This record gives sequence, structure tokens and C-alpha cells, in this order.
Amino acid sequence: MRLPSGVVTMLAVVLNSGAGLAAPPPSQSANATPPQLPPGVSATLWRLSVPKGMEPTPERVALGEKLFREKRLSVDNTVACMTCHEPELGFTDGKPLSEGVKQQKVARNSPTVLNALFNATQFWDGRAATLEDQAKLPILNPREMGMPDPDTVMKKVRGIPEYVTDFQKVFGREPNFDDLAVAIAAFERMQFSGDARFDKFITGDSKALTASEKNGWALFNGKARCNSCHAGNAVSPLFSDQKFHNIGVAAHKQDFVTLARKGVQVVRTGDEKQIDELALNSEFSELGRFLVTKQENDVGSFKTPILRNVGITGPYMHDGSLTTLWDVMDHYNKGGVANPYLDGGMQRLGLTEPEIDDLVAFLFTLTDTKFDKLNKEQLAKQRARKNTRPERDNAIALGKKGNLGDLAPNPDLNVKNPADLGFYGDVTPVTNTKQR
Amino acid sequence: MNLRMKLLVVPCAALSFAGGVALATSPESKAEPLPKHVLPASKDGNLVLGLCDGETSMEVQGVKDGQRLTRAQAITATAQLMDDWRKKNPDANWDDVPGPVLAQAAPPTTKKSPTPAPQPNPGSKPSGNDVRQGGVGAETGAKAVPQQQKANLQTGHTYGAYSERDEQVWADSVQAAVKEGHRVFHDADALGGTVGVSCDMCHPDAANTHPETYPKYQVQLGRVALLRDMINWCIENPVRGKPLADGDPKMRAMEAYIYAQRKGVKLEYGKH
Repeated sequence: MRLPSGVVTMLAVVLNSGAGLAAPPPSQSANATPPQLPPGVSATLWRLSVPKGMEPTPERVALGEKLFREKRLSVDNTVACMTCHEPELGFTDGKPLSEGVKQQKVARNSPTVLNALFNATQFWDGRAATLEDQAKLPILNPREMGMPDPDTVMKKVRGIPEYVTDFQKVFGREPNFDDLAVAIAAFERMQFSGDARFDKFITGDSKALTASEKNGWALFNGKARCNSCHAGNAVSPLFSDQKFHNIGVAAHKQDFVTLARKGVQVVRTGDEKQIDELALNSEFSELGRFLVTKQENDVGSFKTPILRNVGITGPYMHDGSLTTLWDVMDHYNKGGVANPYLDGGMQRLGLTEPEIDDLVAFLFTLTDTKFDKLNKEQLAKQRARKNTRPERDNAIALGKKGNLGDLAPNPDLNVKNPADLGFYGDVTPVTNTKQR
Repeated sequence: MNLRMKLLVVPCAALSFAGGVALATSPESKAEPLPKHVLPASKDGNLVLGLCDGETSMEVQGVKDGQRLTRAQAITATAQLMDDWRKKNPDANWDDVPGPVLAQAAPPTTKKSPTPAPQPNPGSKPSGNDVRQGGVGAETGAKAVPQQQKANLQTGHTYGAYSERDEQVWADSVQAAVKEGHRVFHDADALGGTVGVSCDMCHPDAANTHPETYPKYQVQLGRVALLRDMINWCIENPVRGKPLADGDPKMRAMEAYIYAQRKGVKLEYGKH
């Protein structure tokens, strides 16, 4: 099945973007069909992830990109979205923790915007449901862009003549905060990314991956158990279950258990604090998803990130505490870090050093070919740190210490590659006519 | 034209169970080779087609052995063969497939078209429920599952908790497999056939494949067979291709398609 070629059919649909829009703007048009998607990007997910009426239009995307790069959206004109989501670096900043205005560190590692449109929720703790909701919060976050409130933001934007013209052209009215978020989200919805070497391999070019990378793919689906949270197929090629897991990263911090108790208590006694404020408080923000759901089970759990372009979007984890993918493998190999809220699926993996190398080699094949150069640099950089392994604990990983369960079987590729169980599917997925 | 049949030994390629992909199945010692349908040769060097019963065969006029049939010719020829089979087996049950040509996975029962996300007023902080309707929240599905299962399953993490979005993705993933199976089933080339015959010619819409009756003793094979064994028998004999390995994606896709076509039929293993 081929997607319709380049020309995107433009339907003259009068947008009705729900509450908050006073009157339908003049002659808006929306793409009813997704744009031309590269291999490794799913039309089905596009259909599921892009809300009706929020399909990106060229005008909105252009304005959104301008706003994305606009430092004047911050309190002292020093920080734009792209400060932490640098398009050249795969929409991240390469730092463990991002920095906002006045060199303040925030509590999170900046996640990539690439494919973020397919996320079921936004932010590491999933506290925003849509890209539109997400776009507003960093602007108002005192440690990120530092604006006190939306009115101040819009006063500033309305004072810039070119934006008044732009908003008039795109939305047919004065600039307002909702439209600003809509434009930024439209730009972000064009940041899908597939077309990795892995996609060549999965569509039948077996030479696209080396023997070591193929072995990594087998381990990913077998012994290393990555696919229990990072499964992917042609319909959902993200390698993420979009759920939230405590894998023990927050427990690196010694006071985690006490902190978790305190946090649970605060919530139980009904102290109603704003989620965003709690999430800002770097101490409590380590409680992750718990601040959103108030369920004890969610203490210290964070969203499973998408693995596409993982090679170029380090450092890893919500707090950037793992520098290389080798560190990430070490973390999982010893079954994470023990804590009372550890996800039940975490266990030691018993991976040997060559197996870890194969897994990392495979992960680097998930990068979009347009970032090839960066991918090679990052791989070299990470490989240079191969002997600095703070997370490594072979005694636990190999079962000489502790009792962390049986191992998944070692895949014998001559008998069966676990990656061949199940269908990955055709990378141009089924577009069935089901109404959304 | 005189049609006198003369028995010829049809050269049989040694059975290779290596399959069409680079998947090595474990080299089991095969107890004995499967029986093959030996076709009588045509005096005029015409192409002879075999039927899946392992007995009936037919000469195709005007097509020489070694030539491929066009799809139209193949459909005509196989229709004749099926007529012969029906004459021979007047009492046989023909399992027809009701319904659509391509099975559809059941859509999620709780389908609501997602509404555009509510736009909070400028200045308002995100409030309690920040997940749009039909979207994924931590509680999505998690609470319902233990209720349904009357079990004390943990919520919050993922096990047993799934969302409408998950169901959509799963349904489409299954549909993709079924669709691929539909393609292979209807495509002599994809089956590796050498005479232009594909499965759908004798089994329109996968009719009469009765997957729900396997495992069962298959007379043609002289042993208890699974559905995949019978698929391979058909690929080797009427279709004249090489059998597929167990793990071959084409084999898996065809099983998916054939089962999907019999949705709702009662399982009756061993039924004839």
C-alpha cells in the first residue's frame, strides 16, 4: 500500500477548535489526510494522535516555528523553546538537566520533540494531555522561561508588530495565548521522524544491519526484555508503551524512600498544591507520575520514552543521570535500583559485556538517517566512555549476589530469533476507514 | 485432440524445510518424507494441475508444461477442478465463509470520537483532570480490570491496564497481519507458486479451510496435521511451490487471515 503522493489534499473545512475560540477564523483549511510520512512513521498513529481540527497547516507551522525559536517569549529574552530543544541536536540540548532563565537548572532532562506528537501524554510525568497544553507551561515556569502569567506574555507579543500581522494572517485575530500554543503545537506535529537504518532492515534489506546490530535486535526482544515496555511494530513504531514505570532511577537519591513517604503523606492529608508547583520543587518532582495521579503505585514512575533517535538524545532518564546507553544497559542489567515502588517487571538480566555492546549497537540504528553525522559522533563519544561505568554491578546482574529472579533464555539465533516472533508488519500500515 | 494419459514420473525436488526466509528451523530428523501427489503427464506436453485431495488432476489445454497460467486461465482451470471434486464428493460439507471479503477485527467497544482538547482559559493553571476524553491517563482501564477480574491487581503500572488508544493500536496491528495474509493467499507469486495457482482459487475468501478443525488426521498427509501443515501441503502440491518454514512471516500471516475469516466459529479439533 502506498500513501498518496506528495500532494496533500486540502479540504476546506471550517475549523472549530472547541472552547476558547470566539469565532471561526476566516478561510481556515485543515489537512484531513496526514502529510507524506516516511517509513517508520505510522499513519494509524497519526490518525490517533492528531486531534480533529488540530491538523497542522503550512501557515500555522511557519508561525509555530518562528515562535519555537523566539527568545522574547522568556522573561529576559534569553530562552526560547529551542534553547532546550535544539533542532540541530535532535531537538534536545545534550545536557543532563536543562537550564532556563538566569542559568537556573530545572529538574528534568529535556526530552526530544521528534515524534512527541505521537505521545499519549506530554512531559516526563504525563501531566499534559496535548501538545497545546504542554507548550504553555515552560513559558510560565519560573525556572524555564520565567514569565509570570499569560497576560504578560501576550502583552509582550502584541508589542511586536510582526506577530500582530502574523497572528492576524493565520488566526484572523489579535494574538492570544491559546493560539500561540496552537501554532507551536502545529510546528511540533510536523516533527515526525522515521527513516532509520532499522526501517530498511525491517522492510527486508537484511544487509542494512550488521551481525552485532541484528543480535542486539534479538536480545531486545528476548533476553534483555526491552520489549516488555519498548515494544514496537509498524502500527506503533515508537518503541514505547506510553505508560509510566518506576525503574529505580529516582532511588539513586538516598532520601528517596523518606521523600516518597512524605509525598504520600502530603497527598493523603489533602494538602492541595498545584501539580506544576510540586513538580517544580526538585525534591518532590522526583515522585514523578504520583503527583499527577495521587496513586501510591505511581511513586517515582516516569513515562517510557520513545526510542527512535535515542542515540542522539542523551543523556538518559528523566533526570539525565545516565550518561551513555552503556550506563542504561548496566542500570537494567542489575534490575534497576531497589525501592518499595519498583516496577514488578524489573529483574536482573544477566547480560554479558558483548551482549551489552550488541544492544547499544542496535539502539543506534534507530536514528533517522538525516542525523547520521551526529549519530556517529555520539556513538564515538559514548564508546569513549565505555570504561567509565558507574552503574555497573556484574555481581547482581550475573546472579552472584542477591536473588533477582531467573533470566530470560539466551537466544540462539541459529534456532530462532525472538525478533521473528510476531509480526512487525508492513511499514506502510493499514489505514482502515474507521471513523475516529 | 486425443487425450490419452501416460504416466510419467514427475520430478520432485527433495523436500526442503528451510523455508523462504533465513530462518533455520531446528534440524529435526524428519521421520519420513510427506507423501506427494504424483500427477499424470499429458501426452501433448500440456500442463497438468493437481487438486488438494491428492488424487484428482486435470490437463490444461493450450498451456505447455513449464508455462505459467495467467490469473484468468488459472481461475477457470481451478474452477473445473473444484467441480470435479464436488462430483466425486457429493456429500462433502462445503464450508462457506459468510460476511465480508476481509475480516475486520472488532472495533473497541467503548468507541467515542475524541473531542478536541478543552482549551483552558488563559491564565488558568492545569486543573484536576488533564486528560482529554478518550485519552490515556494513569487510571485509564486500570480500575476496571480488577473489577472485571475480581482480582486485586495493581493499578498504576501497566499490567492489565490498557487504554482506548492501546486497543486501537492492537486492533490495527492484528488487521495488518490479516491483510498481509489476504495478500499472500491471493497471490501465486507471493506463495512461490510456479503454475499461477493461488489459494483463493479453490478457497474463495478462505472458504472450506475450516481452521477450527485442526489438529486433525489429514488423509493426504497420512498423519495428524496442524493448519500450517495443510497450508504447506497446498503450497507444495496444487500451487507447486516450496513449503514455508514455521516461522516464515508469510505462513504466519496466512494463518492469521484464515483464522480471521472464521471468527466466531466453534472450535472442534479433529472434526471431519
